[in-house]
Amino acid sequence: MFEFTILILIPLLSSAVCYTIKNIRLQYSITLSVSALHLIFSLMIFIGWYQPNMPFYFSTDSLSKLFLLVLSNVYFWVVLVSFSYLKRPVASNSEEGKRYYFLLLNFYLFANTSAILSNHFGMYWVAAEGTTLSVAPLIYYYRNEEALEAMWKYLFLVSIGIAFAFIGILFLTLSAKGTSLEAQQLFFSEFVKKARELNPVWLKASFIFIFVGLSTKIGIAPMHSADVDATSNSPSPIAALMSGSLRITALLGVMRIFQIVRPTSTYEFAKIILIIGGLLSLLFAFIFMFKVNNYKRLLAYSSIEHLGIITLGIGIGGLAFVGAMYHIIYNSLNKVVLFFTAGNIHRKYKTREVEGVSSVLNILPWSGWLLLISFLAISAIPPFGIFFSELMIFEGMLFSDKPWLLAVTMFFLLFIFINMGKTLFQMLYKKNENEILPIEKERFEIIHFATIVLLILLIAIAVISPNILHENIINISKDFGIKL
Amino acid sequence: MELIKVIQGIISILVILVLAPMFAGLINKLKAIFTGRIGAPVLQPYYDLKRLYKKETINAKSSSFISVISPAINLVSVVIAAAMLPIGFARPIISFEGDIILFAYVLGLARFFQILAAMDIGSSFEGMGAAREATFAVFAEPIFFFTIGSIAFISGLTSIYDIYHSIRLDNVSYLVFIIVCSISVFFLAITECSRMPVDDPNTHLELTMIHEVMILDNSGIDLFLYQYSSYIKLFIYSILETSFFYPFGVRSYSVGVIIFVVVIATLSIALAISETITSRFKMKNIPQYLLFATAIGILNLLIYTFTK
Amino acid sequence: MQNVLSILFCLSLFYLAVTSRVKAYVTVLRFQGILLTVLLVFPFIHHFSIFALILPATLFIVKVMVIPRYINKIILDLDIKRMIEPTIQQFTFLLLVIFSMVIIFVASNILSKSTNIETIPFASGFSAIVVGIFVIIFRKKLIVHVTGFLVLENGIFLFGTAVASELPMMIELGTLLDIFVVVFLMGIAINKISSTLSGFDVTALGRLKD
Repeated sequence: MFEFTILILIPLLSSAVCYTIKNIRLQYSITLSVSALHLIFSLMIFIGWYQPNMPFYFSTDSLSKLFLLVLSNVYFWVVLVSFSYLKRPVASNSEEGKRYYFLLLNFYLFANTSAILSNHFGMYWVAAEGTTLSVAPLIYYYRNEEALEAMWKYLFLVSIGIAFAFIGILFLTLSAKGTSLEAQQLFFSEFVKKARELNPVWLKASFIFIFVGLSTKIGIAPMHSADVDATSNSPSPIAALMSGSLRITALLGVMRIFQIVRPTSTYEFAKIILIIGGLLSLLFAFIFMFKVNNYKRLLAYSSIEHLGIITLGIGIGGLAFVGAMYHIIYNSLNKVVLFFTAGNIHRKYKTREVEGVSSVLNILPWSGWLLLISFLAISAIPPFGIFFSELMIFEGMLFSDKPWLLAVTMFFLLFIFINMGKTLFQMLYKKNENEILPIEKERFEIIHFATIVLLILLIAIAVISPNILHENIINISKDFGIKL
Repeated sequence: MELIKVIQGIISILVILVLAPMFAGLINKLKAIFTGRIGAPVLQPYYDLKRLYKKETINAKSSSFISVISPAINLVSVVIAAAMLPIGFARPIISFEGDIILFAYVLGLARFFQILAAMDIGSSFEGMGAAREATFAVFAEPIFFFTIGSIAFISGLTSIYDIYHSIRLDNVSYLVFIIVCSISVFFLAITECSRMPVDDPNTHLELTMIHEVMILDNSGIDLFLYQYSSYIKLFIYSILETSFFYPFGVRSYSVGVIIFVVVIATLSIALAISETITSRFKMKNIPQYLLFATAIGILNLLIYTFTK
Repeated sequence: MQNVLSILFCLSLFYLAVTSRVKAYVTVLRFQGILLTVLLVFPFIHHFSIFALILPATLFIVKVMVIPRYINKIILDLDIKRMIEPTIQQFTFLLLVIFSMVIIFVASNILSKSTNIETIPFASGFSAIVVGIFVIIFRKKLIVHVTGFLVLENGIFLFGTAVASELPMMIELGTLLDIFVVVFLMGIAINKISSTLSGFDVTALGRLKD
């Protein structure tokens, strides 16, 4: 009950408290302490210093421990930089957005933690919808037309997608008809144990519905459009939160049903669906990278690309699966960094168009260099983590029964790298003729500190490769029946 | 016994032939009352028919023999159809296996000749009316087959008399099925008899008319035949509707007749009310209205057949 | 009884397909809410308990009273015109609905042979899901999209009763709450869209493109 209180009830409570308090600074300190507590506690659970025993429809396993840690890590850094972000001047009508900012963040933490820790499909659904509801108003932070449209599209499409996921859950109930699972609750753990008894036809239908429904939230092509709009038009901390943690929460649902499907005859089918989803995401990212001229959209497409790689890795299995798990961690860290620096650039240049941004390295040296480094990191340049995880995924692909996938993926990734690099280098180096260098240099802010820490973390995890993390990921692979 | 049945059958057809104009008059009277007018007397259709009968027939110069024969064919077909309908559980004089098809297509024949005659005259107005009638007939025909036809399909019987006899309301899903069917048939009746909201029989603008515009150039005996057959048609569809309402278990002739009278009276009120409260649809909305009735029929059939 | 309610449910879907008034959509939502409530209450007639009535009561409050009123209020406040502005002809739409319904009914009848499901509510629920999506695809007004979404949710609900999935009451209440909040947020968004983008339909949303 203790862990339940800390992880789930306290965020809810602090969200209520934020509603009553008018002072933003106070709200910030409450939210920050809650997030720190959450981070420490999920770290403790992850390392194993605390053996959790969750009540009701909640439980923990290796997978949810990992995802919980990723969530609290991203959330902590986002909250940390949020206050400096809120201090920035914005249009007058978006002042009211600040009032609910921390309330919604807290509610997001509550909903997302519930989703990750839930052991029940119904609970997962309710919580996942809760995350959509808390993020949607945050997307509308800037109170401008684009943000409004993005919010509407995100809210509407994701709600429909998640309704489809609910149909998938109902199909899962149907697949349990006539087995020992009938008339029982929809617990993941029970379903995983007795998956062999399930009716394959309905299980197949269930997998498709849940995958397609949740892919609106994960951002897997071709259901990615609302996600791209939302990520590119929301304020940078929220974009980081969505790319870093919300997408993988939705991925968790897909992984749960994938885990159930594994021992059944539907497994091969599900793998193919995941591979198709992954490849399509890469394809869409590949196509749109050619024509995109908005750097935040560029990053959003990069998110699509990396979630595509993760889905591909999960679909291929074997070593690629392990790589995908690592990739989840690295990608979430890296995306936070990218969106933070992109936010800094947006603050200075007041535009999201690539055309309007030039010689960032001279005008904003800190952000510029950090953007450059994090771009190298996301493009899988060693010694950053993504390099190692992608290497693992590629190795898994090469030794799987579909080695040609490697060639296709490499092709897509190469062009994505070239196009993304072209755009970002243009922003960083291109000189404008009538350019005036600012007198005062860019100040070192907390957002730069967060970025640097995250980048160091990105290298450190990869280089040191903590044993505890490795063990955890091996445990997840065992849960998914992957032989290494 | 056999003789009585034949007599009952003959009575049925006579009732239809004699009372049909009065039914139309009744609806008009009720409608007038509902809208706060005194209205024409109930027997007004008879006077109209008498007046038409006395007048001379003039056909357009451009018309051919089609215009001459079609009013008679129209009436005869409608009367044949009327002879197939049971009143008060009496076996009608024309009743055999498969007469449901004959019923549908005898009415179709009547319509065919009316359309043909309207085109024969060569007036653009009548051509337009014929086009409309033909278009809406396409959408109206499926309604019949998805209601009466689906009852036939379920019971396995193909004679109208037997089909109606097979209706037993002892099972809830069948009861619902029959009720929904009767709603569909009501839509059908409104369409086929050119009542509101599909067609306004009292309209004065040729552009908006469907049925009335086709007989614009007819006069005298021809018009008499057309009018009379349209009264009978209205009555036929009302009888189709009433037949759903014979409750389970009643198999005696006298009770059946009483029920017939009561239901016909109720139906005339229902028609009058629906004509009072609805306004005529736009011409382009009529197909979707008819498709709606078909949809109900299809749904009904689906649900009934798939109920375990 | 379930079948009767399902037939009424399907009839309401047909009505949805032919009507061209926004108000009628709201009425249909209300009607469907009542049907679902009756469907939930019905099993408890024989063994009555107050506890079992919590869910139907909440359903009634949310789906029959609160949400339709809220939508009506939006329509009134924003002075939304009463026509739904379809993008295809109503007739084609109805044909589409009929065809998909026939396919769904036949398919679910085939499926019911292998699995123990109640064909009629199953198929009706699924039809409502499909019709909800059609409404969203083939209508321009955003408020109509919201009603389409709610029809979809109603369909899922009916579908759920057909599958006889016994979700715990907490979670059922949670889903209801979620739906309510979604509609609430959508309402606010429509309000904002009408004031900042000055339009109530999807043509107002065309800014975000690649």
